[in-house]
Amino acid sequence: MIDDTIRDVTERPGTHRRRWTTIVSVIGVLLIAGSLGFKIFEPVQVLPRIRLAPGFIMTDQHGDQITSEDLKGSVVLYTFTYTNCGDPCLAPEPTVAEVRDRMGEVDLGGVDMRFVTVSFDPTRDTPGALAGRADEMGADGDEWIYATPSYQQAKTVIGAGFREWYEPAADDTFSFDPTLVLVDGWGVVRGEYRYQTLTSDVDRIVHHLDILGEEIRNSHGAASLAYEAAHLFLCYP
Amino acid sequence: MNSVLHPDRGGVITRRRTGVVVIITAILAAGLLLPRLRPHTFNGSVMQSNTPAPSAELTSDAGRPLSLTDFRGKIVVVYFGYTFCPDLCPTTLATLDRALERMGEEADQIQVVMITVDPSRDTPEALARYLDSFNPGFVGMTGTPEDVAEVATVYGVYFEADEGTSESGYLVNHTASLVVIDQQGYLKLVLPPLIGVDELVSDLEYLV
Repeated sequence: MIDDTIRDVTERPGTHRRRWTTIVSVIGVLLIAGSLGFKIFEPVQVLPRIRLAPGFIMTDQHGDQITSEDLKGSVVLYTFTYTNCGDPCLAPEPTVAEVRDRMGEVDLGGVDMRFVTVSFDPTRDTPGALAGRADEMGADGDEWIYATPSYQQAKTVIGAGFREWYEPAADDTFSFDPTLVLVDGWGVVRGEYRYQTLTSDVDRIVHHLDILGEEIRNSHGAASLAYEAAHLFLCYP
Repeated sequence: MNSVLHPDRGGVITRRRTGVVVIITAILAAGLLLPRLRPHTFNGSVMQSNTPAPSAELTSDAGRPLSLTDFRGKIVVVYFGYTFCPDLCPTTLATLDRALERMGEEADQIQVVMITVDPSRDTPEALARYLDSFNPGFVGMTGTPEDVAEVATVYGVYFEADEGTSESGYLVNHTASLVVIDQQGYLKLVLPPLIGVDELVSDLEYLV
């Protein structure tokens, strides 16, 4: 009896210690596993679906019509400029060329990538002028297209639709914001690049194309639920 | 008898039975609840626009000024089409009518609007006549060619007149997606052309 009592008294603190050690160990293991899981699987990120890209008909450097419907199903990077933009000019083409050269880093799951440089100077930017500029920049007219809407449609498509600000000046030049607009295969704007940040536009765009590619590749089956949930919870880069 | 000889055994069996019943009930409940907890999968592209949908201030098929914001509080399904349209528009409008019929009373919270891409021929009267033949609740909108072009552009719709038959005079090529605006006036969904009735009902019922 006395022995039992002594054993009880001496074992109680040990039992408590073991219990606490177990609890702390389990919490520790869970924390480590959680951190590792977070690092290994990384939370899903998506690009926001901002708004609808405008519908349009434009004329390309070959004199052919190109419409917004022709580009559905492709991921498109739109840029805006005019061929008479002298020096210095905030021309977007070097950025486009660099993104195009880095497309090997991105897997869009078999979806085509297109580049469309839109002129807001339809009066002077005839197909011939656009073709000359396209040749200079190495734009083939299929992957990288130069195009311009009609004079009547220019403000609606470029200004209201793509929200690109431009204004003609008295000396036949234009003031404009160098803007790039990323549009997905549904014709939905997924990215807008309006100003320089510490990360170059090229790095940001390539990174965003990578994220878009992930979403495209996981757009079917159970995985698509995780990506739709990421849209719901605004898991944006 | 057993319980007299082994008073604890009856309790053990009862506890086991209770446990089995609880597990089966939990499995059945999970089976019933899981499909409901599964997030809805839309049949189009879901938008997260933080600005309201363009208002589209045009003329109604009753000849009065009308804006899409006038339907605030309802889910608005916008389609761009025209009354001389030979196949795509009638098919889409018939699909919309069947979807609303299937939805029953919930359809009261849906407003279908067709904005014409052929404003030269689609007068308010012509639009009203055409849409009434599908569903008297459908509303048509028209305007000057410039106003219609502006509205179509910002809704991602392109259209152009094309050669047609001698009966129709000309056809109009146009984007045939459906755009869904939610009760608060935000763009919610872009649905593909020629979507089926089942898919349409599934998405609209979820939004309602």
